[in-house]
Amino acid sequence: MSSSFIISLLVGTLRTSIPIILAALGQVYVHKSGTLDLSVEGTMIFSCLMSFIAAALTKSLTFALIIGGVSGLCYSFIMAHLTVNLKSNQVISGTALTMLATGLSSYLYRVVFGIRSLPPIIENFKPINFGFLTKIPFIGPILFNHNFTFYFMLLLVIITWFIMDKTSYGLKIKAVGEFPRAADSKGIEVNKIRFQSILIGGLYSGFAGASMSLGYMNTYTDQMIAGRGFIAIAVVVFARWLPIRVLFAALLFGFANTLQMRLQSIGVAVPIQLLQALPYILTVVVLLGVSKYVKFPSYFTQAYSRDKK
Amino acid sequence: MNKFKNILPPILSIILAFAVGAIILLLSNFNPIESYKSLFNGAFGSAYGFSETLVKMIPILTIALGTSVAFKAQLWNIGGNGQYTLGCISTLIVCVYLPAPMWLKLVIALLLSILVGMIFGGLLGLAKAKLNANEVITTLMFDYIIALFLSFLVYGPLMDPDGHNFPQSKLIEKEVLFDKLMVGTRLHSGLFLALFLVILLFFFWKTKEGFRIKMIGANPNVAKLSGISVNLQIMLTMGISCAFAAIAGYIDVLGIHGRLQDNIAGTLGSVAIVVALLGNLNPIGIIFSAFFFSALTVGGQCMQRFMGVPYSLVTIIQALVIVFVVASKIIVEKRSKK
Repeated sequence: MSSSFIISLLVGTLRTSIPIILAALGQVYVHKSGTLDLSVEGTMIFSCLMSFIAAALTKSLTFALIIGGVSGLCYSFIMAHLTVNLKSNQVISGTALTMLATGLSSYLYRVVFGIRSLPPIIENFKPINFGFLTKIPFIGPILFNHNFTFYFMLLLVIITWFIMDKTSYGLKIKAVGEFPRAADSKGIEVNKIRFQSILIGGLYSGFAGASMSLGYMNTYTDQMIAGRGFIAIAVVVFARWLPIRVLFAALLFGFANTLQMRLQSIGVAVPIQLLQALPYILTVVVLLGVSKYVKFPSYFTQAYSRDKK
Repeated sequence: MNKFKNILPPILSIILAFAVGAIILLLSNFNPIESYKSLFNGAFGSAYGFSETLVKMIPILTIALGTSVAFKAQLWNIGGNGQYTLGCISTLIVCVYLPAPMWLKLVIALLLSILVGMIFGGLLGLAKAKLNANEVITTLMFDYIIALFLSFLVYGPLMDPDGHNFPQSKLIEKEVLFDKLMVGTRLHSGLFLALFLVILLFFFWKTKEGFRIKMIGANPNVAKLSGISVNLQIMLTMGISCAFAAIAGYIDVLGIHGRLQDNIAGTLGSVAIVVALLGNLNPIGIIFSAFFFSALTVGGQCMQRFMGVPYSLVTIIQALVIVFVVASKIIVEKRSKK
C-alpha cells in the first residue's frame, strides 16, 4: 500500500466524518436530557437544503452555514413541542418529522429550482492553506488541508465537552435525564432543560446538514443525507455520550465509508453494492455490540410530568 | 359515543393535514382546489384509477398490518421496506429457479417468504431482547443494507441474461402469476390474500398469543410477573411483524411486478407506518386508512402529471397526518419505566 493511498484514506475518513460528528455531538445533549430524537435525519435533510438555497442566493458560505444551523434549530422546535409539551411518543414523533422533512425538502427544492437537466451547483468551502503547516509531510495534508467545516467541527467538539463536563448547565442536562424528580425538587425546570436540549441538538443537526451541501458536496439531492442522521444516533450511543469519544467513534464510520469509496475506485473484485453497505452494516454491528454494556440515561425516552408517579 | 371519539381525531388530523397542504400549494403558486380535484380524480375519477388505488392498497395494507403488530407491543419496527424486499427476493428465486409444478412454487414461495420474515424479525427481536439493540435503528439500517443487496442481485447474479443489461431479474412465467380480476387493469387476486390477512389478524388479537403481545406492550413488568417470557414474545412479535411485510412482497411480485427490479419497495414502508397509526393499530381501521393513503398515492401521481405539483406534497400530507395524530394523543404512551 503506497503512502499516498494511506493519506487519501485518512483525509477522506476525516472529511466524511464531519457531518456525522456534528449531528452526534448535538445528540449528546438530547440523549443526556432523556430524549431519543429520531428527527435528526430529517433535520439534516431540511437544513442541508436551506443552507444550499442560502448559498445559491447570497453566495456567502458563512451566512449559509448560519442559516443551516438556524433552520435546524427552528425545525427541532416541532420535535421539542411534541415530545416535551405534548408528551407524544418520541419514536413516532421523530419518524414522522423525518418523513415530513424528506417531503418538504424535496418539494421546496423543486419549487425553488424547478426541474433542470443539470442540477444547480454552488461554490463550496475550499481547503484552507495553513502555509508551512500544510507542508509538513504526512501530517500536513491529513490535518491542515481541510475546509472550514472540519475546524468548525473540532471547535464544537471542544465546546460540547466544555458545556457538558465543566458547566452547571451540563450538569442540569444530565440531572433531568438521570433523575428528573430529584432535579425538579432542586428547582431545575426539567421540561425547560429538555426543550432547550432538543433545540441545541437541532442546531447541531442543522450544522451537520449544512456541512453536507457546503463542504462535502457542492449540490443538493434528495438522497444526500442517506441515513447519516441515524448513524449519528448509533455513534453517540457507541461513544457513551462523551464528546471526545464521539469524535473517534464517528471516525470509524468515516473510515468505513471512505474505504468503500477508495476500494471502488481502485477496482476491487467485490460488488460495489456490498461495499456501499459497509457503513450500515458497521452501524448494526456496533449497536449489537455495545448497547447492552453502555448505561443509557435512566429516564431515556420517558416524558416527565410532575403529577405522574 | 366511544366509537365516535376514536374516529374523530384521525379525521380531524386528515383535514388539518390537507389544510396545511393547501397553504403550501398556495405559497408555491399552485391552485389548491384544482390540485386536490386532480388528486381526487386520479384516484377515483375512472375505473382504471380506482383499480390502481386497490392495487396499491394491497402491499400498503399488508405491511401496515405487520407494523401494527409490532407497534402494539411497543416495538418500533419501521423497516417495512427491507422486509418487503426480502419477500420479493425469496418469491422470485423460488418461482424462477425452482423446478416444481406451478401450484407447488406458489406454496413454497409463500412459505419461504414467511419463514425469511420470521427469521429476520426473530433475529432483530433477539438483538433487542438480549443485546438491547434499538430496533428503530437496526430495522432502518437493514432497509439500506437490503436495498443494496437487491441492487447487487439485479445487477449481478439474478440479472436477466436477455434483458439488455437492464437492472432487473428474469420474468416469472405467466402461469405462476396471480390472475387479473378485471380486463385492462392490474387488479389481481392477491387482493383476497390481503383481505384474508386482515381477518386473520382480527381473530389473532382474540387469541392467547395476541393477548400476550398486547400485554408486553401495555406493561412488560406485569407480563413478566404473570409468567410470560418477554424475550420470547419480543422475538415472536418482531417475527410476525416482518412476516407480514414479506408476504406483501410475495403478493406484489406475483401480482404486479413479475420480476425483481432495483428499489422495488419505493416508499411503501413509511406509508405503512402512517397507515398503521392512523388505523389506530386496529385491523379494520387499517383497511380504511390503507385505502385512503393508497388513493392519495395514486392521486398524487396524477396531480404531478397534470398539475405539475411535486409528488412530495403527498409525503408532506402523510407526515403531517401522523404529526397531528400524535399531537392529539391517540397513541397513548403506556410503557412504564423498566
